[in-house]
Amino acid sequence: MMQTTSDKKWFDQLVMELRLRQVHGSAIGDTVASARELLGDTGQQAEEAFGPARDYAAALDLPAAPEHDWIRRALWPSLLGLLAFLLFNQAVVSWTRSELLLVSPAQAALLATPVVLVACLPLYLDAVVRRIWVGMAIAAACAASGLLSAVVTPTDQAEAWLATDPLPWLVGSALVMVALSIMNTVRSSRPGNDDDITDPLSGAVDSAGTGARFLVQVTHWLFPLLALAMLGLALALR
Amino acid sequence: MDVSSSDPRTTGSVDWPSDWLRATLGLLALRALSAGPSYGYAIISELERHGFGAIKGGTLYPLLSRYEAAGLVTTEWRAGDGGPGRKYFALTDQGRAELTRLCADWRRFADTSTGYLDPERPTKETPA
Repeated sequence: MMQTTSDKKWFDQLVMELRLRQVHGSAIGDTVASARELLGDTGQQAEEAFGPARDYAAALDLPAAPEHDWIRRALWPSLLGLLAFLLFNQAVVSWTRSELLLVSPAQAALLATPVVLVACLPLYLDAVVRRIWVGMAIAAACAASGLLSAVVTPTDQAEAWLATDPLPWLVGSALVMVALSIMNTVRSSRPGNDDDITDPLSGAVDSAGTGARFLVQVTHWLFPLLALAMLGLALALR
Repeated sequence: MDVSSSDPRTTGSVDWPSDWLRATLGLLALRALSAGPSYGYAIISELERHGFGAIKGGTLYPLLSRYEAAGLVTTEWRAGDGGPGRKYFALTDQGRAELTRLCADWRRFADTSTGYLDPERPTKETPA
């Protein structure tokens, strides 16, 4: 069936709403396929046949994973990855300059800001997903706190709250980032993954093509890739 | 709204009050499945053909989804003839029992309502 632009938007929104409700991928695939089946029969627009995607997703009341299951499976690993990346960034400059890693209270507070913002994500996830400016504002706050933390980095040991050898922090944070990336890659490539939206008839995974799969893998390895870039930059500016 | 002139056996754009349909659609959907497994559009067409108006997918599918969760219907995807697959809904034994129970209840309710609404019935009854 040819899909109009408005129908495509409606189906995208339906998938997003079902995802927000923690509905399993197979049930999402089933819902999408049966909606497409009816539209093919009636020739109606999706909105006309099913009403707003958000209301339809709610009305279906499909079985879902425990409400906060994604926090354990996705948020904590992401948070740990972010923390490791921030630590790596602090350690890499000191290590390339053969200096001690110096940390001040203000710097620690600024570094903790992105971690706290991400940790609180369950409180405003719906707003982040539905309103792009909320996500952009949070990303901007994370970036600003990261930049400010560099500004308030102590220049001598007297100002520092903590002075330590950067190498263990550098190696430890790098290992954590790589381990989390491997874990995410293995989990997403495992067949029968609950996150996969599967076609109910063929069982095929509804994928958006090689480009999208590559992008997902890049996302899994985002922190190690950014860390490598930071290492290169620190070595170049040494 | 004048519904007294509508003929329930004609196809049509009968516009029943939405709360009447909301209350009875479950029973009607179970009845539509009593002849054998059927799919979304066939159920909608069957109800429309029998004078219940055009039921929207957004109304029917959540109902069937709840019935599936309650064990009244099962679903099965079948390949379409050259087209996309179809999701067939079928009554379970529990669904048939529920249909029988609801039909009996509905008849009693309809008889009671019809008797009460009968214009020939004396409207002023002295309490015993």
